[in-house]
Amino acid sequence: MTISAKSISLELGGKKILNNISMEVLPGEILSIIGPNGAGKTSLLNVLSGNIKSHEGNVSYNNISLKDISIQERAYIRSVMSQFQSIAFDYSVVDILQMGWLDHSHKEIKEDLSAFQNQVIKECDLEGLISQRFNTLSGGEQRRVHFARTLLQLWQPANSYDQNYLLLDEPFSNLDLVHKVKMMESIKAKASSGTGILMILHDLNLAYAFSDKILLLKKGRVMEQGETKKMLSARLLARAYETFITVDENPINIRYY
Amino acid sequence: MELIKNITFQTSQFFTFVSKNQIFLMLLLLLSMIFFSLLAITFGSYGLSIIDFIFGRTSNIQNTVLTEIRLPRVILSGLAGASLGISGAALQGLFRNPLADPGLIGVSAGAALGATLMIVIGGDLFSQYSLGVFFIPLAAIAGSSLVILMLYFMTKGFGYEGVTYMLLVGIAINAIAGVGIGILTYISSDAELRSLTFWTMGSFGGVTWPLLLPVILIIVLAIFIMIPYSRQLDLLQLGEPEAYRLGVDVQKLKYTIILTCAASVGASVALSGMIGFVGLIVPHLTRLLGGVNHNYVLPGSALMGAALMIIADLIARIIIQPAELPIGLITSAIGSPFFLWLIFKIKKL
Repeated sequence: MTISAKSISLELGGKKILNNISMEVLPGEILSIIGPNGAGKTSLLNVLSGNIKSHEGNVSYNNISLKDISIQERAYIRSVMSQFQSIAFDYSVVDILQMGWLDHSHKEIKEDLSAFQNQVIKECDLEGLISQRFNTLSGGEQRRVHFARTLLQLWQPANSYDQNYLLLDEPFSNLDLVHKVKMMESIKAKASSGTGILMILHDLNLAYAFSDKILLLKKGRVMEQGETKKMLSARLLARAYETFITVDENPINIRYY
Repeated sequence: MELIKNITFQTSQFFTFVSKNQIFLMLLLLLSMIFFSLLAITFGSYGLSIIDFIFGRTSNIQNTVLTEIRLPRVILSGLAGASLGISGAALQGLFRNPLADPGLIGVSAGAALGATLMIVIGGDLFSQYSLGVFFIPLAAIAGSSLVILMLYFMTKGFGYEGVTYMLLVGIAINAIAGVGIGILTYISSDAELRSLTFWTMGSFGGVTWPLLLPVILIIVLAIFIMIPYSRQLDLLQLGEPEAYRLGVDVQKLKYTIILTCAASVGASVALSGMIGFVGLIVPHLTRLLGGVNHNYVLPGSALMGAALMIIADLIARIIIQPAELPIGLITSAIGSPFFLWLIFKIKKL
């Protein structure tokens, strides 16, 4: 029960973007992908989500090859949050949120979904924004709405559980301190309820503080992947980012309460 | 491993995403459409009464005027308005661009060129085959499809950044089609070919049942294929990659919308010529009234397009009796200032 990628290679416009990458996203685990700009992090995420199809190698969800899963079924297994384009029409925040409602066929489902939606709205601190026009929100607020939408997409009826996954591309950009911590807590809660999480992160401190595993990508290759503790090597990071990096294993933590 | 067995994905769930308010608005539009149709059948240069007709108190001439002239004309104007309205709404959704309009981006012009080409070159074909009545609409549909496909490739898959570019392409296509239609009407001695004014300004006059029936079929079919894709058009507003991640088969959605828009616009242009700005204004009015979700905007635009076009045609017929204003003159007179206002508004955003 994983999202697994086996020997993924990808060439776009004659340029090798990804080179023989194998990796796994496990249930209940937070895996962070780190690496310098142009390492192929977002391309890897797009291959895993099925958005890029021209790659070599095989991606599977829960042991079923991605090719054999319909586009609609994929939406139930993984939700993705990435960088967003502007929206041309005046949708309200609630409209955008409910775009994460995959299924709404039966009355009971609709009630459960509405209840879950209220819970997510509270969790993402959107109560005051819900009836506003989406286009009038700030970048960080829009991001929180999209995050709430990806959570709604993973809703499942109470009597059934299928292993699902959350893929996030730079989820914390534009967020203020408080909402960064709140979102991180939501992600952790999601992981402890069994969802497998993959995040692309630029902030190494965040990556080390919150991930179970880390995958270090450079120039389309996996430099190293493994448990977060084992990845805490200044030499490794210095080699990846080609700069001086010190790792202080007992930092004075700033905690937010 | 059990993969989503008991959950079915249904994109066409209509009423979940339509508010009560919107259903009320659609009913209101439907009623006004029916009311305007009755008005349009009754009024004109020849006085008629529907009530007399129903009770059989009308003369033979009156019956003929009603069933052979008025009724097909009202139906055509309603259908043309509905097809332009819904196609404008769907194209604006597909392009994620509030300035898309079948007229502005050259789709109607492509259809008109296709239809005139068919009339001039294939003039004899209609009578020889039993399905000959379909030839003109089909040629028009081919023309409109060609234009939409060309736009698709030139804007790299309807990218949001291609707004200006798309309108410029539209200007060029409109000019090319204008030249083509001009030359064809000039060199043609064929009596079948209507005047240049007909193609560039539009008219609902002179339509007959045999020509109208295939067009009714095509437009109604296109509308009912299009409406179930409303929810997917909403999701598409997040961007193509996002829509795909939410389970939308984006390729299929695009081809369906392209084909249905091309078919309904092509069919209506084949019989009524190019009528400008309807596809632009109607969806915007519909959104202003009741919201932006496509479950409401698509059917709402069809109904509003039909209602407005029927009343506009009535005005065109009675305002300078016994002569008749070209319908496109009226729609453009209202539409072009609106277009300017829209550009101004979008620039401020």
